[in-house]
Amino acid sequence: MKIVMKFGGTSVGNGVNIRHVADLVTQYSKDNKVAVVVSALAGVTNSLIETGCQAQRSDEKHIQAFTASLLKKHTDAIAEAITSKTIQKEVTEITEKSIAELEKVLTGICYVGELTPKSKDYVMSFGERLSAPIVCGAIRDYKAQSQFFTGKEAGIVTNSNFGEADPLMNYTTHLLRERLDPVMEQGVIPVVTGFIAANQDGIVTTVGRGGSDYTATILGVALKADEVWIWTDVDGIMTTDPKLVAAARMLPQLSYHEAAEMAIFGAKAMHPRALGPVSKENIPVRIRNTQNPANMGTLITKDPAANETKPVKAVAMIKDVAMVNVYGAAMVGAPGSYAKVFDVLGRNNINVMMISTAVSEANISMIVKRGLLGRAVSNLEIALQERGGLISEVTTEDDVAVIAVMGANMKGSLGVASKIFSTVAGKGINIRMIAQGSSELNISFVVKEKDGAAVVRAIHEEFNLDKA
Amino acid sequence: MRIILVGYGVVGKGVTSILTQRYNEKVKDGFNPKIVAIADIDGAVINPRGLSPEKLDAIKQKGYPISADPEFGVPGIKALDVIKEVEAEVVVEVTPVNIQTAEPAISHITQAFRTGKHVVTTNKGPLALAMPALTELAEYNNVVFRFSGTVGGGTPMLEFAKRCLIGDRILGIKGILNGTTNYILSEMSQNRVSFQDALSSAQKLGYAEREPSMDIDGFDTACKTVILANWILNQKVTLKDVDRVGIRDVTLEMLDEAAKRGNSIKLIGSIDGKNKPTVKPIEIPKTSPLCVSGVLNAVTYQCQFAAEQTIIGRGAGSIETAGAVLRDLLDIRHKLASKLLT
Repeated sequence: MKIVMKFGGTSVGNGVNIRHVADLVTQYSKDNKVAVVVSALAGVTNSLIETGCQAQRSDEKHIQAFTASLLKKHTDAIAEAITSKTIQKEVTEITEKSIAELEKVLTGICYVGELTPKSKDYVMSFGERLSAPIVCGAIRDYKAQSQFFTGKEAGIVTNSNFGEADPLMNYTTHLLRERLDPVMEQGVIPVVTGFIAANQDGIVTTVGRGGSDYTATILGVALKADEVWIWTDVDGIMTTDPKLVAAARMLPQLSYHEAAEMAIFGAKAMHPRALGPVSKENIPVRIRNTQNPANMGTLITKDPAANETKPVKAVAMIKDVAMVNVYGAAMVGAPGSYAKVFDVLGRNNINVMMISTAVSEANISMIVKRGLLGRAVSNLEIALQERGGLISEVTTEDDVAVIAVMGANMKGSLGVASKIFSTVAGKGINIRMIAQGSSELNISFVVKEKDGAAVVRAIHEEFNLDKA
Repeated sequence: MRIILVGYGVVGKGVTSILTQRYNEKVKDGFNPKIVAIADIDGAVINPRGLSPEKLDAIKQKGYPISADPEFGVPGIKALDVIKEVEAEVVVEVTPVNIQTAEPAISHITQAFRTGKHVVTTNKGPLALAMPALTELAEYNNVVFRFSGTVGGGTPMLEFAKRCLIGDRILGIKGILNGTTNYILSEMSQNRVSFQDALSSAQKLGYAEREPSMDIDGFDTACKTVILANWILNQKVTLKDVDRVGIRDVTLEMLDEAAKRGNSIKLIGSIDGKNKPTVKPIEIPKTSPLCVSGVLNAVTYQCQFAAEQTIIGRGAGSIETAGAVLRDLLDIRHKLASKLLT
């Protein structure tokens, strides 16, 4: 089999973990062709952004302390991950060189006093540029052949949308095959930096949301891999948060659509953007646990096994949200009135997570991140509530949570919604807002946050999610 | 329209001669092609006001590289730099075909795209190896990429399918896409000579190269098949994806057997909707419109509505191919004009 394996930040969090990763990769590479994609060491990308922002404020004194601590973190990892002195020395040299370059970049930003999306991508790229050589060295330490590539060197070419770049997939495919295929043919394990790529002029870009998972699926498609494995620190995608429901169970199979819906499960699932390339080419993705390799994890494919007939597969609670209700008789029957409401929010960089309106058209309910509530209300009032304006009143509830019930087989099965809502009613809990997308993969509703856990438990039990 | 010509071999000279002719007739159709630079392996000649090819020909005849031109020659400059630095609308890429790496053509073409220049090429190498990548890159950079001279030479095989059959669905394509092999097979069956003798005669007549593998092992046909598959059937394939068999093993006996059944053996490049593209010698009925002889090429499009449509032509030749370049340039001019006016 040809497998692209991606290891996230925690999997390569320190030298011991990296050594474990190298061990896993070497074992699998005995019977398979393996290409590896790695994230930055846990916490490094954030610290790079932070220091970049400090540098922008011409705060020069932090730079040296930061690069020194970064060097220590990585040399510590090298010492733990690699036993051979020669390889250690090689990798340390590369690390020192990269960090010297980073120091120059940060100083430059400090003098210019500006951190553009372009320079921010450049700064962020150092996270993966530092981790990949260590992982590669650790694999070599296990007596396997390995070579590391930056996304740019491997041939991932994106548009110039810095911070959120998308690959030019055909061109990328062409270059990746030209550069990695011959290497893999010779039994060498390529280690590619996740998250970072370059535009057609060779300037560093990052792929943004989806991160290294996105890089892994791009590689999977380009190299025509049989599977893409996303190694993480959980067994797979679960029916719900095990902290809420002890009986939560790992889902052995999911469809691409279901997996995309489950992105709201947060870091434990995959971003829909990362699933884009593989779902088009129908390449299976596996979510696996580095600490439990005996478990085959969750397999994401186009058509999961047909015996999965349960209408509901998973239930999630999304906390830290708030509800905004907008009222206005002037909205009724007026074309474009909703557009104005959402335009105000969009211009103020407020993402709307959920919407519900009635056919009366006199009000809209929305869910936004709780931290953005104040900004949302204030801007709606200022822009649209002037005398004779579009809206007459904005009310809010900030003690709510969204419950999302998901499963591909809900489509067309009768009575699922009725069963969900009577379960909630049976607990004596009031529903504040309801929405169902046309895909019928997901029913979302809003309850008071204090009731959220009880609702999740009740639904999990009612639909027997703990049983296969 | 300002043009950078990259490559000054047989096709390059054909292009300059056609364009000079057209430039002198400019009043007629308002198309003023001006070659502002010609780059080849030794350097370039650059003149923003337009070059006169007669003079360059004279230099080349004496055995000097064109960059030896005393007035406009820039010896040693790289084609990549010429493409980047010289102001022009279009790059015409006509360097020799290389099907191993497609270089330097692929670098020339991507450099042109990056610097916002439209590209016309007759070079099959880049298309055979990286066609999906190149068409994507052209689109991303908002430039036009044309290559009608790569299939059928002067015969508009690509445009015929792309334009004349618009709206129809093309279900499959079969073609005799290489004149050299068709000449050899025709020679063998008509004059009852062996493969080797037919090959030597093709080499004497200048139809076949001294190193004939590109033609007789089916590589040239495979390249053209890849281009048809991508451009006409939207299949993302490259040369590696083609099942290819040449004509080395075709014998007189096989031809005789085929003739008894009323058939001829031809080297056919074939694409259907489902399977991998193939290139191999197969029997086709002598009565089929596809069954052309000598150096002729022919391609049959199997259409959903219009049924079988066949177009036949010479398929090669420097002036014919240069004519295809001219068609592409006019197409680009038309596209630019409509863009500038809206």
